[in-house]
Amino acid sequence: MRERIVHWHTIDEKQAFLSDFPEDLHPSIQQALKERGITQLYSHQRLAYDTARTGQSFTAITPTASGKSLCYHLPVLQSIVEDSSSRALYLFPTKALAQDQKSDLNLLIEQMNQDILSYTYDGDTSPAIRTKVRKAGHIVLTNPDMLHSGILPHHTKWVSLFENLKYIVVDELHTYKGVFGSHVAHVLRRLKRICQYYGSNPVFICTSATIANPQELAESLTNETHKLIDKNGAPSGKKNFIFYNPPIVHPTFGVRRSAILEVRDLAKRLYKEGIQTIVFAKSRVRVEMLVTYLKELSKKKINDESIRGYRGGYLPSERRQIEKGLRDGTIQTVVSTNALELGVDIGQLQACIMTGYPGNIASAWQQAGRAGRRQDEALIIYVAQSTALDQYIVNHPAFLLGQSPEEARIHPDNLVILMDHLKCASFELPFKTTEQYGEFEIQELLAYLEEEGILVRTSDKWHWMSDRFPAHEISLRSASQENVIIIDQTIPAATKVIGEMDRYSAMTLLHEEAIYLHQGIQFQVEKLDWEEKKAFVREVDVDYFTDANLAVELKVMSEDKERSYKNGAVFYGDVSILAMATIFKKIRFDTHDNIGSGPIQLPPEELHTSSSWLSFNRPPGWTDAMLTDAMTGAATSIASFIPLFVHCDRRDIHVVPQVKSIHAELPTFFVYDSYPGGIGISERVFDVWPELLGHVEQHVEACPCDQGCPACIGPQEAIVGMKDEVLKLLAYLQLESTGDPYVI
Amino acid sequence: MSFEKNLLQMKKLIKKKPAKSESLAPFVIPEKPKYTKAWEESGLKVIENDFGIVFEKKIVYDRNYCHGNFKLKEVFDAFALWNSFQGVHPVSTDGKQVVFFDTETTGLKGTGTYIFLIGQLIWNKDHFEMTQHILADPSHEAAMLYESGLWKPGQTVITYNGKSFDWPQLQTRWTLNREHLPKLSDPIHIDLLHGSRRVWRNDLDQFKLTKIEEEKLGFKRVGDIPGHLAPIIYMDAVKSGNPSTLLKVLHHNEWDILSLLTLFIHTTKLILQEQYLDSSTSSTNIGKWFSDLKDFEKGQSVFEQIITQYGTAEAAMAFYYLGYEYKRIKQFDLAYESFEKSLGHVLDVWEIKVYEELAKIAEHAKKDFGLARLHVEKALELIQKTADLKPLQKDRRTHEFKKRLERIIRKQTISRASAGFDRK
Repeated sequence: MRERIVHWHTIDEKQAFLSDFPEDLHPSIQQALKERGITQLYSHQRLAYDTARTGQSFTAITPTASGKSLCYHLPVLQSIVEDSSSRALYLFPTKALAQDQKSDLNLLIEQMNQDILSYTYDGDTSPAIRTKVRKAGHIVLTNPDMLHSGILPHHTKWVSLFENLKYIVVDELHTYKGVFGSHVAHVLRRLKRICQYYGSNPVFICTSATIANPQELAESLTNETHKLIDKNGAPSGKKNFIFYNPPIVHPTFGVRRSAILEVRDLAKRLYKEGIQTIVFAKSRVRVEMLVTYLKELSKKKINDESIRGYRGGYLPSERRQIEKGLRDGTIQTVVSTNALELGVDIGQLQACIMTGYPGNIASAWQQAGRAGRRQDEALIIYVAQSTALDQYIVNHPAFLLGQSPEEARIHPDNLVILMDHLKCASFELPFKTTEQYGEFEIQELLAYLEEEGILVRTSDKWHWMSDRFPAHEISLRSASQENVIIIDQTIPAATKVIGEMDRYSAMTLLHEEAIYLHQGIQFQVEKLDWEEKKAFVREVDVDYFTDANLAVELKVMSEDKERSYKNGAVFYGDVSILAMATIFKKIRFDTHDNIGSGPIQLPPEELHTSSSWLSFNRPPGWTDAMLTDAMTGAATSIASFIPLFVHCDRRDIHVVPQVKSIHAELPTFFVYDSYPGGIGISERVFDVWPELLGHVEQHVEACPCDQGCPACIGPQEAIVGMKDEVLKLLAYLQLESTGDPYVI
Repeated sequence: MSFEKNLLQMKKLIKKKPAKSESLAPFVIPEKPKYTKAWEESGLKVIENDFGIVFEKKIVYDRNYCHGNFKLKEVFDAFALWNSFQGVHPVSTDGKQVVFFDTETTGLKGTGTYIFLIGQLIWNKDHFEMTQHILADPSHEAAMLYESGLWKPGQTVITYNGKSFDWPQLQTRWTLNREHLPKLSDPIHIDLLHGSRRVWRNDLDQFKLTKIEEEKLGFKRVGDIPGHLAPIIYMDAVKSGNPSTLLKVLHHNEWDILSLLTLFIHTTKLILQEQYLDSSTSSTNIGKWFSDLKDFEKGQSVFEQIITQYGTAEAAMAFYYLGYEYKRIKQFDLAYESFEKSLGHVLDVWEIKVYEELAKIAEHAKKDFGLARLHVEKALELIQKTADLKPLQKDRRTHEFKKRLERIIRKQTISRASAGFDRK
């Protein structure tokens, strides 16, 4: 195994930077901190307190275990001790995180021995105490979804909160990116509008993991200027960061052994050594595969629960049980998707294995932060997959270890999202005919809503005039409200719901005959009722998994920006996509052989979104066939590198090559956002084409393979790979600017 | 998809500038809607006040006006009954400043739902008077709320489902206009939906007002609009300016309120056992209601009246509840007798409870362990046999009774032994 370690990096322990308690900090709070053994604050906690007290909104960068919650608890509690009518609202990205924080906060309040009431307010809050929470809760802990559909549309029941709101805390700021972040940006604009109506002007406190643009993100999320607090005063233990590359099993094609299998072997060793480990895998399917493999280790023990999976789609009670098992040590190895990246309290583990690069640096550090108990050394192993990005990272550790995390972007300008929330805001309070909404001028959009028959205009206001409740029709989490429910009918008399999945993923994961894995148990989808959004599954025991293909048709609808280069031009505009799941393959475990396939019969899904595309003149002498292969290879590589420039998931964007685009009849690479209306990724790509292509060319050139491999241009089918052609094409495409961009 | 295409067209409409804060403007009386005249011509009166305008419709009824089986003036009998009633009851009122009240709204919940119609029924010496206030348009909301007079203190409102719907909606609207309006009072509130549910439990399976009208109040609507269409009709009237269908909503609201009054008369007479009884089921419910309100004496007298009026089978539930009444006042022999009489005429679930009570009294009060054992065994038999319990419930109940049985047998053995010892 040793020779597979490409790089071993140690991060030394770091000393703490401490400050004294602020002089005005209430004695009861000082007392509570002393009871916890805290006699001084970390420097960033002190700065946070001082900043909040001046009424300045701020964002604090807080790695795992740096005492981030005190950054907001202290000013909030102080304001309530000083004036018991003060109120604060805490937002966590999930219900689970809010509930977790509540126990901690309540303990602190108990130690203070003051009458401060803090409650979670979410779908689980019992109707009996809701009135109490609304009227008397000093600190209300909730999530954006509940704020959106449960609090804002009923703001008249929360008068005492909105009239006296001093602080709004946004925890885990970095999770508010992409579609979700764009939605939440609007929920916060609506919140501010309500606060203004009731005469309060709260200070925002955000805490975030390390990203490139925390301040920018916080400012665009809250539409408020922020001060950045990025000097962390917390100490940390020594960390061993190992970059591990699976061996090449086929030198000509540069094929490496599967990362999953390597991770399985590494996790087995750690398990046998009794080291508590968290394994991160990138998809639900991989989590389930790894759990299946690892459970072999404990199958002789009866009722053994020491190895568990954890991911979205499990029921909440199941998740709580796993979290508890991790804290008390009954679970030794957990395999998780990025669901456990966030501040869910599972304590600190000893080791962390990443199956592949999580897609961005911020996530990588969040995952790595899961390992590292106070005094212990921590072990973090990054196992590279064969993809271009993974191989780039394993060979350039400085990329991950250096200080260049990505940007997190949101796009509140997305018109679909904007209109959704404009409806909600109109429902909450009528707009005046002179009013603007956040930074948007909206009078023309309101006129459109009047035409649609949703609003009525009176002399000076636009009034909601519909019996609908708009917040219920708008989900913050996904493009489509409708999820597919997964129903286990193994025992016909006792069918039960075992999970759910969004519509897009369901096209490729829950089609009929698909193998769906849940907690390591295989289910076969027997029937997918697309109309009713239900998948009926039955438990099976087979030695393969399934993998589906998605075919895409693409049309340009408008060109908004253009920039010319020597051999081509790049554009930004709107496109229409027609996506259809076509066939699926059955792939055997372990060997990953293809052992069969079948068609998928599902209606196509249509998507209107933004796109950036690169059209170029055909290089002289190239045939269609050559161009097809070279462009396919280059597209694979381009797709892998976009997340390097924009903080997004691989699945947030798509890259489609067309040898002769319907639109301009030229060879074209399209990059488009996966969400209706676009979320700003391709707009960013429009600006970085030259750097993007430069990176791609460098990487393909540096790749040690002969003919092209999964690490650069994707697996090659023929004996003679296309690597040379791809390189020639990329060299041809190096974009030399011919002038400034202009908007059409 | 055409919606999305539309949106893409509109993308150019998005303009941005730094957020600005809206300053609080003084109240300006809104303009009258364009359709004011058309609505006036349809028979609605325009009322102007400091906050704008509101449309009003008044209907006057003679004291002897009949709605279903009742004359409106019978409401005075109902007030008289409550006035002579000694005790506390949720339907009780002294009859002063009473308003029968119902609203129609543009939706079900949230701050985007407007109340567009407030109907109130009150009376003078010789006639009854219905006043309906209709929202001219949403900007004239304060005018309507003010004109309704619901803010005046000292009133009693009688509603149907008003506690969880109409009144909270009114509070929401009031909060949104609170800077201009006098504070909304907190009146005494009698919600007859709750009352009807208590009185007709196990008798009616639906508690829609129209259902109660037909089954209990002798009133059948002809030409009524379905209530759920009311929001759309109002919104259409505002958007089109044409009020013709809206008048049907006013009629619907009028019927609702008249029925509210007759329902009040009917339930009052049932609860206070004046003249007649509706059925043994509803009378038993009423007795139970008194007991739950801790008015045990009244509860007991209701049960006893049912027993004299109906045969044993009909009065079985009354015996059942009466058993608990006697047990509570430690009249164990009477309780035993009463429980025993209900046997064979109540549902299995209750019968199992009756055996449990009989066993308890036998064991603890009568100290007759043989008798107690007999009842427990009967209960166990019934648990096995009945189709009314789910398997899990059966297991739980069986377990409980078996524990009881073991204890009784143990006591029986001890008492036999000690009896034998005594004999020696």
